[in-house]
Amino acid sequence: MSVTDLPRFDMVHPESLEALCTLIHEEKERPGGVAMLAGGTDLMVEIAQTGSRSGPLPLVVDISRMAPLRGISFDAGRLRIGAATTYLEIERSGLVQQHAPLLCRMGQDVGGPTIQARGTLGGNLATSSPAADGVAAIAAYDPVIVLRSVRGERQLPLAELQTGYKQSSRAVDEVIVAVECDPPPVGSPWIWRKVGTRLAQAISKVAMGGVAVVDEGRISRFGLALASVAPVTCLMSATRAYVLENELSAVSTAGLDAAVERDVAPIDDIRSTRDYRVHCSRAVVRAFLRQLGASV
Amino acid sequence: MRVELLVNGQERVVEMPPMVRLLDVLRGQLGLIGAKEGCGEGECGTCTVMLDGEPVNACLVAIGQCNGREIITVEGLAEGEHLTPLQQCMADHGGAQCGICTPGMLIAAEALLRRERSPSDEQIRAAVAGNICRCTGYQRIVISIQEAAAARREQSEGPR
Repeated sequence: MSVTDLPRFDMVHPESLEALCTLIHEEKERPGGVAMLAGGTDLMVEIAQTGSRSGPLPLVVDISRMAPLRGISFDAGRLRIGAATTYLEIERSGLVQQHAPLLCRMGQDVGGPTIQARGTLGGNLATSSPAADGVAAIAAYDPVIVLRSVRGERQLPLAELQTGYKQSSRAVDEVIVAVECDPPPVGSPWIWRKVGTRLAQAISKVAMGGVAVVDEGRISRFGLALASVAPVTCLMSATRAYVLENELSAVSTAGLDAAVERDVAPIDDIRSTRDYRVHCSRAVVRAFLRQLGASV
Repeated sequence: MRVELLVNGQERVVEMPPMVRLLDVLRGQLGLIGAKEGCGEGECGTCTVMLDGEPVNACLVAIGQCNGREIITVEGLAEGEHLTPLQQCMADHGGAQCGICTPGMLIAAEALLRRERSPSDEQIRAAVAGNICRCTGYQRIVISIQEAAAARREQSEGPR
């Protein structure tokens, strides 16, 4: 495909979530498949750049302005972000600023303003790229992903959604409706670190989101995730366990670094090297622990 | 697909295959060649236009997503032959040099100035962070936008 193929695509605008689910179910055997289009920051580039790939074209389903997929709410301790909500909307949301400030800060680092105005959390979850800043940030809040299909609704923890590099357990006839999480109390410490070639329009070499609750020298809740250091968004299970098992005063640099090194599995690629990514991973995790009061 | 648009204040109707890029419709059928194609993948910002008031990359927007929406391109800034203070400041302070980034830079800056009456240098740099310029080193663009903000404030307050 290339830009010259664009006129050959069809586009559908479903009227409701039910209509969308029915459509993607009925079209699931379609040669070329169905491509749900939100901000277009992946699909439009992919179409323009894939070269002369032949074969049937996907049916494009525009979901960018579907009301049931959009908006942000907070109810009984649970923050819900519609899958087609843009990063700009997340950044500007008073509810997110109050309850999940990490997401607002991350939003400023996604691409540049024009990408923030189009890119969506649901889109990043659907493409399942381990480099997605938004996914690493929301992963620190241990979210569930709400999926919908003609079979009904189901909720998956992120670890069960991402199954491999750009692979997910979302069925072809399922749509990501929203992301939900229970943020820690207002004012809890958080961190966002992005290491890239420049401040804007850079895909992360390493990015990290973290949230914590500290009670009397001990961390009682610890959410941490890193982008671009593993085939999937890295949920840092060894590091989480190490931090939760030890008093803050007992957290050591060597212990922390060892846990981080067990968690990450980066590669050399066009943006960075394995060694530098391991180095950065250790550095950003230490920075968060220092912020929480550990001597590392 | 039939798409109704408000482009620079004028109602326009285009009949286009839905996945054609907004950029191609603007530059082709609508004859608005201000927005440029640079990278074609949302990196460089020279195709930046406002979509419902927010700057977006016109190369990443499918025309089929634009029905009923408002587009402002660089052609929509000036009134007739009169440059806006922002355009005049970019010219006066060396913010516009080779001109490739200028249409997108102006739209990104205009969107900021509509939102922020007195932006900080940091806010300006963040607002144009998606617009790559290889001539100015950016400082003259920041100065131009600061001067434009001052001119707009003066304009809205009237002579003292």
